[in-house]
Amino acid sequence: MNDFLARLPRLLLNGYGLLVTAFILLPMALPVAVAFTSGDSLTFPPHGLSLRWFAAALDNAQFMTGLRLSLVIAFGSTVIATVAGICAGVAISRYRFRGRGMVQAVLLAPLALPAIVLGLGLLFVLPWFGLRSGVVATMLGHALLGLPYVLSMVLAAFSNYDPALERASLNLGAGPVRTFFYVTLPLVRGGILAGALAAFLLSFDNISLSIFLSNNDTLPLRMMQQMQSYADPSVAALSTLLLIVSLGALLVIVPYLRQQAGKRPG
Amino acid sequence: MRALRPWLWLLPAGCIVVPLFFLPVLFMIRNSFWRDDPVRFIVPDFTFANYITVLSDGYYLKVFGNSLALAALVALIALVMAYPYAQLITVASERTRLILLWVLCLPLYVSIIMRVFGWIIIIGDTGLLNQLLLKAGLVAKPVRILFEFEGMVIGMLHRYFPLMALPLLSSLQKIDPALLRGSVNLGAGRVRTWCCIVLPLSIPGAVAGTQLVFAGVLSDYVIPMLMGSTRYPTSAPTIFLEASTNASWAKAGAMGIVLLGLVLLINIAAGSLIARAAPWTGKA
Repeated sequence: MNDFLARLPRLLLNGYGLLVTAFILLPMALPVAVAFTSGDSLTFPPHGLSLRWFAAALDNAQFMTGLRLSLVIAFGSTVIATVAGICAGVAISRYRFRGRGMVQAVLLAPLALPAIVLGLGLLFVLPWFGLRSGVVATMLGHALLGLPYVLSMVLAAFSNYDPALERASLNLGAGPVRTFFYVTLPLVRGGILAGALAAFLLSFDNISLSIFLSNNDTLPLRMMQQMQSYADPSVAALSTLLLIVSLGALLVIVPYLRQQAGKRPG
Repeated sequence: MRALRPWLWLLPAGCIVVPLFFLPVLFMIRNSFWRDDPVRFIVPDFTFANYITVLSDGYYLKVFGNSLALAALVALIALVMAYPYAQLITVASERTRLILLWVLCLPLYVSIIMRVFGWIIIIGDTGLLNQLLLKAGLVAKPVRILFEFEGMVIGMLHRYFPLMALPLLSSLQKIDPALLRGSVNLGAGRVRTWCCIVLPLSIPGAVAGTQLVFAGVLSDYVIPMLMGSTRYPTSAPTIFLEASTNASWAKAGAMGIVLLGLVLLINIAAGSLIARAAPWTGKA
């Protein structure tokens, strides 16, 4: 491909690449700048520097309770989705059984379901299980959204996995439980982590399902309400803090994932 | 006993998917045939009245038409925008390629609220773009983009662009360079090689991306709420409004099922299109 396309008008292509890169990055970079403004408006360039909006964001009780709630929901739903996703991944990739393709299709189907349809239907299902809108309902709903992501990552990890290692462990006298925890799981650790990360982010950022299942008190909903009623830079300040935290976490996780991928046999 | 083992492994996922996926869809289907009642909210019935309303009333037809038009437009722009960008990534140096991939994936880690906030700063009435236009003397008064159809298009494009570019990129990267060398050696020009080899071989990625973007835009709730205009109602916010404010659960059910039907139709169409245009991707 290289030698062929190298002859394309590269300057034009590079300029275009720069333009699209700006289109992608600018809306994420500007809120960071506006977060440091000392004025009250959302205009760029900011009027003078200050940290007052960071203080305002951290002082906002609705943001802080929303943050705590969203972290609990994201953590819980990630655990549920990850456990279920790993088990389903084992079933689909390690066994041959009737209806296997169907099962896989069904477990990935929630990807195609509009959240608005799911949320509306869940409102009628919850009372069946004695549940009302709130933390548990939201956690369960988000777990369903995360499951297909965990499953597809785990399946991808299992596809370059050597079952002979498992047999060797069993032959050497480790029981099936020990083999599972000491051989099988560590070998697909990268896939599990990537899937869990996707499930966590999905839950933490979710709006369209939370409007039905929560009491309008998760962090994204609180930020949305703040934006619709006040439109001050505190949302930008909070977003900036969250961005720093999530990029920091990513810088730790990505090298680990790469290391795992490098270690993979075969 | 052995035959049961995979099903035991599937039990946790089943405990999630059956009550939280199958049941809600069944309830939505049931609701869509029930009847809204001013006093008792929703009462058992078997009627097609909700579907008839949703599929014949001018307002609801307009809502679905709006959503379909918006989805088609955003998917088309994203496709045209993503082709050169993905192509650039395939030919760039190792370092540039890594940077561009990071750029493409970064929005997936940034909250949608923050991205919308960024667009408010850029395209709002007193935003960056209007400041520049006013200063340059190109316009006399600020151009209204945010809270209009245009603002919604921009927001959707930003939200769903990675979903178009990533599958397209993976398709382009799979093309064997030997084919391109062969084509050029046999005397085809660059344009002809691109049209006759690169384009057809990248169809699976283009179709997969289009399907993801189209379905995403069609059922998006956040962007229309935060960047759109009430004069251009789209499906998801309207369904939420029917259900929450108007308490028309049956009608909202019918609208939801129509939306689900549209999404399924798109997925099926995309699947058969890939099978036809790119038969080599099928199970061999």
